[in-house]
Amino acid sequence: MGGQVSKLMGKIFGTKEMRILMLGLDAAGKTTILYKLKLTNQEVTTIPTVGFNVESVTYKNVKFNVWDVGGQDKIRPLWRHYYSGTQGLIFVVDSSDTARMEEARSELHKIINDREMKDALLLVFANKQDVQGHLSPEDITNSLQLNKLKDKLWYVVPSVATEGTGIFEGLAWLSNNVKTQPQK
Amino acid sequence: MNLTLPHRPSEDNAHSLSTSSSSKTNALPRLSPSPSIVHKRSVSNSGISVRVYDPNLAAGATAFKSRKCKSQYPRDSAERHVEYILVASFNIDRGPIMEHQYPAPISGDESMLAELMLPDQTHVRSQDWTIFFLHKDSSVDQEDDDSVQGKKKKKKKKKKKKAGSSPRGNGTDDSEEDLNGSSQEEETSDEEDESGEGPPLMYVLNLVNTKQDHTVKRGAVVKAMAICTRHSFLHIYKPLLLLALEDYFKSPYLETLATLYHALNAMDLSLLPKLSLLERQILQASNCKDMFIEKFAHMISQRIEEEGESLDTDSPPSPKRSVSKYALPRDTHEFESKIVYNDIPIPVKVPTVIWPEVVGDFSLIKLIQIFSVPHSTSPQPFPIHPHLTTSGPYTHPIIILINAMLTQKRVVFLGHNRPSGEVAEAVLAACALASGGVLRGFTRHAFPYTDLSKIDDLLKVPGFIAGVTNPTFANHPEWWDLLCDLPTGRMKISSHVEPAPITEGLLYFQQQAALNYIHASNLNADPTGDTQFMEDIQRSISNRYGENAIRAKWRAYIMKFARVASSFEETVYGASNLYIIGPNEELSPDSPSGAQTDPLDPTTLRGHGYVWPDEISKQRELMASVSRIEGWRTTRSYYSFIQDIAAMYYPARPIMKPDLQHHHERLRTLKLSPPEAGVIYVAFSHAVKSYTGICQLLTVTPENQAGLFYLSMGLFHPDQSVREATVDLLETISEHPAGQHFWNQLNRFAKLAFFRVKRGRDASQNPISGPEAGSGEPQSLVGVAMGDGSK
Repeated sequence: MGGQVSKLMGKIFGTKEMRILMLGLDAAGKTTILYKLKLTNQEVTTIPTVGFNVESVTYKNVKFNVWDVGGQDKIRPLWRHYYSGTQGLIFVVDSSDTARMEEARSELHKIINDREMKDALLLVFANKQDVQGHLSPEDITNSLQLNKLKDKLWYVVPSVATEGTGIFEGLAWLSNNVKTQPQK
Repeated sequence: MNLTLPHRPSEDNAHSLSTSSSSKTNALPRLSPSPSIVHKRSVSNSGISVRVYDPNLAAGATAFKSRKCKSQYPRDSAERHVEYILVASFNIDRGPIMEHQYPAPISGDESMLAELMLPDQTHVRSQDWTIFFLHKDSSVDQEDDDSVQGKKKKKKKKKKKKAGSSPRGNGTDDSEEDLNGSSQEEETSDEEDESGEGPPLMYVLNLVNTKQDHTVKRGAVVKAMAICTRHSFLHIYKPLLLLALEDYFKSPYLETLATLYHALNAMDLSLLPKLSLLERQILQASNCKDMFIEKFAHMISQRIEEEGESLDTDSPPSPKRSVSKYALPRDTHEFESKIVYNDIPIPVKVPTVIWPEVVGDFSLIKLIQIFSVPHSTSPQPFPIHPHLTTSGPYTHPIIILINAMLTQKRVVFLGHNRPSGEVAEAVLAACALASGGVLRGFTRHAFPYTDLSKIDDLLKVPGFIAGVTNPTFANHPEWWDLLCDLPTGRMKISSHVEPAPITEGLLYFQQQAALNYIHASNLNADPTGDTQFMEDIQRSISNRYGENAIRAKWRAYIMKFARVASSFEETVYGASNLYIIGPNEELSPDSPSGAQTDPLDPTTLRGHGYVWPDEISKQRELMASVSRIEGWRTTRSYYSFIQDIAAMYYPARPIMKPDLQHHHERLRTLKLSPPEAGVIYVAFSHAVKSYTGICQLLTVTPENQAGLFYLSMGLFHPDQSVREATVDLLETISEHPAGQHFWNQLNRFAKLAFFRVKRGRDASQNPISGPEAGSGEPQSLVGVAMGDGSK
């Protein structure tokens, strides 16, 4: 009942709903970002995600249903099951983990080359900007070879998830660029 | 060959114990001597009346049936209670990995197992229980194992050892088993539920713990321990698993697994008697706490005899002391034993009767409530599908579920943010619901808990029942036909569900309807009776009838479904696979029930199958059920039911004529004329004589359907010969070990009539002898009748 009312309100006031999938290598900071979004000003401590987390976050009249899926290499093949219906991909990179940047690039390209993801927006969080020896957002853009992408809207945001820096800027970009066609 | 059970008690050890604490052993249900009874249990509950073994009880039982009682779990069996202990953990770099396996690596895909042991979202809760099944042949691991090689050795191809099922393999295995099954004699009837579907499943009970630990990288340790067993009552091991996993966090070595393994396998169930199919049915349907107690007593007396022989050579102890070691169960529905783990004795209760398709502990009431409450407060229409929405768009969701299972649809239980144990429980309950202990093939294709990583294997299984916690399943309607959402209590029929095909039966009934205008009378009522049935179920739940009563009602519902399907096949196809026609019976719609084919033999009473009050209500009910029956007729559960009927024909029907169930139902539901009823009483009295025959009769007169009441009505029949036949019948029943309980429950009015008719007959047979002679024999029965009040 309540859900129906808010759906109706959404129709009147133009609230959009957006399915977001958040992926990245293990320990990149996905779960921290998710819970920083959800619990804005609180301290967040996370442990490794077994399987997935899913939360709804409303920001600037857009309801984001964010799926955060565990990143260990053995469970990465499961990512594809989350693709269908996804409008935005958040790819989280640990900017200090230079050793695995190539691994991150390959995983990212695998995802966005999937047919079901061809229309999804791509937001990259260059996370852990507070850690010594991190790469800049430009370095990340180059390492991930984002400039090679055609027909793709993408954006790289520097972030420090534990402090909440940068993450709402990322969401704002998503809500501004999501296609306005109404969701079913 | 002979398995060395790790803690086989040595006799003198046990006796030194029973002397040291003999006062306590008297009060407690002691099951068997075990060396580790050193721990004294508190005897605060010694006030509870525990039946101490009474040799007379066993003797009484042997009078009727002197056959040796066999144990369900003999001491010398090569089969272990538990076959493997596994430990898995979530590695922060690699994901789920297997850490230890005892006594040997379980073959199959290790990483797949580790994934199942660490269910989705384990990181958000500190503890979670899971159940899953493995399809693993018991004979596979012989080569590396010393003693597992049991009598179960089957000449079967090795089955796939994956949790993903192997639906193809079943067909061939089944036919092979069937040949053995149908030639079974009554003597070996105990084996009947082995037939059918290949090796028993391996059930896995898994406990996972997440411990926050700031000393380790990324702040948490996630570990899971699992017990692999072929016992469907795996829930009894839960306390053990809790203790052992806690120990494993402290000492993460193989020894911890070994300790648990040996403790579990040392559990002694050897005094649990084996019951025949009919006996199990009677026990299950009865609330009587000492039904078949004589069999337990018999087991104990056998044990004492065996020990007496072996002890005479040793130091002869006082026989009285050995008697006190054993106690009869407080309730024969379960057998109390204990498992001694790290010197802590943990009491466990093992169910005496194990039905096919009943695994673990679940609650049908809970499942029914979850989906009934939202439906009753704000019903939502379903899209019409002939197999599923048998009572229109507002069909009760539980009926939708049962229809989906019967017609082998893909059913998914989704519990987002719920522990995986909760979805597993729902899946197990759904299997029991659809099976009713009658139909099979559900648990074998059930995945009580599964996750995305198994989706490709899952989708290869036609008609599965799966439990998941990942809400992404809701976004993939192509993966399922019916989605049951546990948090909201709503069901959803997939937009991808295959339409029901047009079948011969459907066309037949459409023609019939056109000819007879049956559909006109169809509009107002509840033609399937399902609405009424669900109302009754919900009334029973709100009146706190309890789980057993609800299970009994579902069992009756499924049995009725099978019998209606049989009538349907006879109507449409002229013959049915679901019923074996007894001798002297003929398949003709014109042949009326109750006609006697051989005038000299009163048992040659015609008639079989489900009883409807009249032809119109029969046609109406059949027509309403056409689609789901036709849907069922192509499924695994249908084919295995046909095999079961063949295999269980002899064990389940010692009396082939007349059809006891059919004619008892006629007495119960129809208004028969006195001659019509009379021939039934006479036929029953002639047919029901043997131990197994009485058992069969008792299965059609369960307590919840008024017991012997309808039979006792024969005592008031106008014809004296019928009254006397009824006396004979009831007398035979009252002398039967199980029948006496039914007799005790009979109302006093019927009992008085019984003695009146009996006295009258005895007097007319022996007019010379005085009343003492006549009353001599029924003396014991009077006692029984009067004793009834104190029960």
